Amino acid sequence: MLVTWKYRPRKTFIQSLDPRTRLIFFFAVILGLTIPEIWDYRIIFPLFALSLTLYFLARIEWKDVKRVWPYIFVLLFFIVGLNGLLSGRGGPSSVTNLPSPVVFTVPFKIPFTDIGWDVPITISKMWFAITQMLRMLTMAILAIPIPYTMDPNIYGTAFRQLGASDKFSFTMDLAFRFLPTFARDFSITMDAQRARGYEMEKLKGGITSRLRRLAPLIIPVVMQSTVTGEEVVDAMDLRAFGATQRTWVKADLRYGPRDYFMLGLAATIFIGCCVLKWGFGIGEYFVPEFFLNLFS
Amino acid sequence: MPDKPLVIDGLTFKYKTRPELALDNVSLELKQGELLLIAGSSGCGKTTLARCINGLIPRSYRGERSGKVLLHGREVADLQIPEMAQVVGTLLQDPERQIVASNVFNEIAFGPENLGLPRQEIVSRVNQALKRLNLEYLRERETFNLSGGEKQKVALAGVLAMNPSILLLDEPLASLDPASAHEALEVFRSLADEGKTVILVEHRVEDAISAKPDRMLYMEEGKVKYLGGIQSLPKEIDHTKVKLPAPWVVQRVKALDVITEEPPRPRTKEQGEPLVIFEDVSFQYDTDLPFILKDVNLKIYPGDLIAVLGPNGAGKSTLVKHAIGLLKPTRGRILIEGQDTRKMSVAQIAHVLGYVFQSPTHMLYAPTVQEELEFGPKNLEYDPLLIPKFVDESLSTVNLNGFAEYPPLGLSFGQQKRTTIAAVLAMRSKILIMDEPTAGQDFANYTHFMNTLCDVSEDAQSILSANFSATLFITHDLDLAVTYANSVLLFGDKHIVADGTPEDVLKDEELLLNYRVRPTSLLHLNLSLTAKTGRFLPAESLAAYVS
Repeated sequence: MLVTWKYRPRKTFIQSLDPRTRLIFFFAVILGLTIPEIWDYRIIFPLFALSLTLYFLARIEWKDVKRVWPYIFVLLFFIVGLNGLLSGRGGPSSVTNLPSPVVFTVPFKIPFTDIGWDVPITISKMWFAITQMLRMLTMAILAIPIPYTMDPNIYGTAFRQLGASDKFSFTMDLAFRFLPTFARDFSITMDAQRARGYEMEKLKGGITSRLRRLAPLIIPVVMQSTVTGEEVVDAMDLRAFGATQRTWVKADLRYGPRDYFMLGLAATIFIGCCVLKWGFGIGEYFVPEFFLNLFS
Repeated sequence: MPDKPLVIDGLTFKYKTRPELALDNVSLELKQGELLLIAGSSGCGKTTLARCINGLIPRSYRGERSGKVLLHGREVADLQIPEMAQVVGTLLQDPERQIVASNVFNEIAFGPENLGLPRQEIVSRVNQALKRLNLEYLRERETFNLSGGEKQKVALAGVLAMNPSILLLDEPLASLDPASAHEALEVFRSLADEGKTVILVEHRVEDAISAKPDRMLYMEEGKVKYLGGIQSLPKEIDHTKVKLPAPWVVQRVKALDVITEEPPRPRTKEQGEPLVIFEDVSFQYDTDLPFILKDVNLKIYPGDLIAVLGPNGAGKSTLVKHAIGLLKPTRGRILIEGQDTRKMSVAQIAHVLGYVFQSPTHMLYAPTVQEELEFGPKNLEYDPLLIPKFVDESLSTVNLNGFAEYPPLGLSFGQQKRTTIAAVLAMRSKILIMDEPTAGQDFANYTHFMNTLCDVSEDAQSILSANFSATLFITHDLDLAVTYANSVLLFGDKHIVADGTPEDVLKDEELLLNYRVRPTSLLHLNLSLTAKTGRFLPAESLAAYVS
């Protein structure tokens, strides 16, 4: 059985919006940043500030999201940030192609030997890492409130009323609930294996050996997910899902003035990003003067 | 012929992946308003027959099928899914497998929505189903927060909203506490009385009989062994394979002149230091959430064989998770052999307490049963020379000899459950804790391993009794407590409401009913004979005391 996120009804601006508005706004920001490839902090930062404002307007309690933020920060700093800092890849070619002063080098060498190489950390790479993290953070803080502030009963309806097919809409409904279900299964499996003396802290050996030692956790969770998937399919078949065009009984979503305002803002963001980049050439990657001056 | 809701004629089926026949020449006819009970041990073909009736065979399960399954005169294989779903409504064994929506209203509306019915018609059907099952108060609740009994009723409401003429109920009592099971059976009977054809697949025959089935179909190895009224059951059905009401077992034992030995008197509690102590334990998941446990005091001594009874959602599993250190108390403390669980890791506690989780799929991972059973002892760093011996003995206890090289995930649910029990037995912890050990097991199998496990009389030669100082099992099956326990904990309202010998705790029928534990015929018979027997006995042994 699929479980839902920790949703609570709240009297907030965010939860007064139609769920379709929120989905459209979310995708407008993501697509606005990614399709025209915006790397200019002067565009990203206002969007970040807007996302942050919306995040606080959602008034989610810290205890609800305190387990999510560490994952986000690990992802941002250690994967996105570190990758940007060391390689300068994953963004525009100008990060590595344009000449930029080297601030310091990171030696990647086998200890006590000279085998390996030095990775130069340039000002350009440093600024790129910051920009990339800010960009990702802008998208993440828009996404995080969605499951906690959107009624799980209308996930499917929202997609259906956005024009998606019955199957796609219900698939999205199920997909939204997959992650918390996965987390629940993982927690039960972890408990079951710990009760058999299994300790993750005691994982030893190389990567292969460690991965093998993770099998008691991974296999039951994957199996459980597979079984749950099959059960859901059987349960849906037995109640005629997909047999004919279905009626969505909770299909009374209505846009209000706030929705039209937010939809207008979403359109402005997306179209604005495209026009700035393709029309005026604004949005390219560059290192601002104040950052360069920090190292001069 | 066409007006008969269900006609099965010469039905034979073999799964593509298995060599043996799952169904062998099954024939059956059902009338409108008839309630048929289908029983048999695990693997007898009950579920396969149900799948042939609801069309999952041949749609979802591949194999060779011959014979006919006609629903109102039309072959199942020829019916389209929406037609099928409106004729046969299926309630699965575990409501968790059936519920797809996130709230109760959406769940009940799901089927009618899929039929494309007008919105008003859907709302009307949902309201009718809610009213029919007295579930109006759940209308806007989240489905995953419901109790087991509520989930089962919501799943049934979802089926009723499709307005099928045949209801196929596949072991619907499995996850219910006794009182909820009884309420569900009353609903099934009334649905039959209203004209629905009800097929109740259930191995809890004693419970199912309270729904007053018109006929019973008993299956063995895919074949029909008995089809007829329930009056003849004591003569026709082996009471060691299917659990029958205690008076019927007595009648059968007497009629067949079966000589049954009285089981040895259970080992009395040892005096001395308790192994586990709960001191004023209270627990809540978060400060703004209600307490799940409140002021629980409990001591487990060597020699204890404790049955924990109580309604769904009472906190029984939470209690056990505290004992093994997976949860730490909000207030109070728990001592394991004198040490506070707050200062112990779960692995350290596992040396003392072995816990069998309810769901096998959350635990099994190894490529073979042998490796699965070796996992715990290896983690606990036991002598490698002793591990094979522990594994063999554990397999034998749960009747899985010969399965050592099988992949556990390829076994049936009942076999998987026994594998998980064996996996914990192999750890040789001092205390064995089992959460619903008989769920999904047939009577013959669980009787075998409970007999082996609980044979803790003074002179017992059981290797297990020599290795486990105490056993605790959570169960909805009151007869397990009657037959095997030397101590009963009745749990309810977040704390222990009664603690004592089975004879003391279970004699208070009013108390049991208050906590949704329904007295069984075995308990009643034992209570009426206690003056003669001096203690609780299994049904076979009571025959000697019944004139």
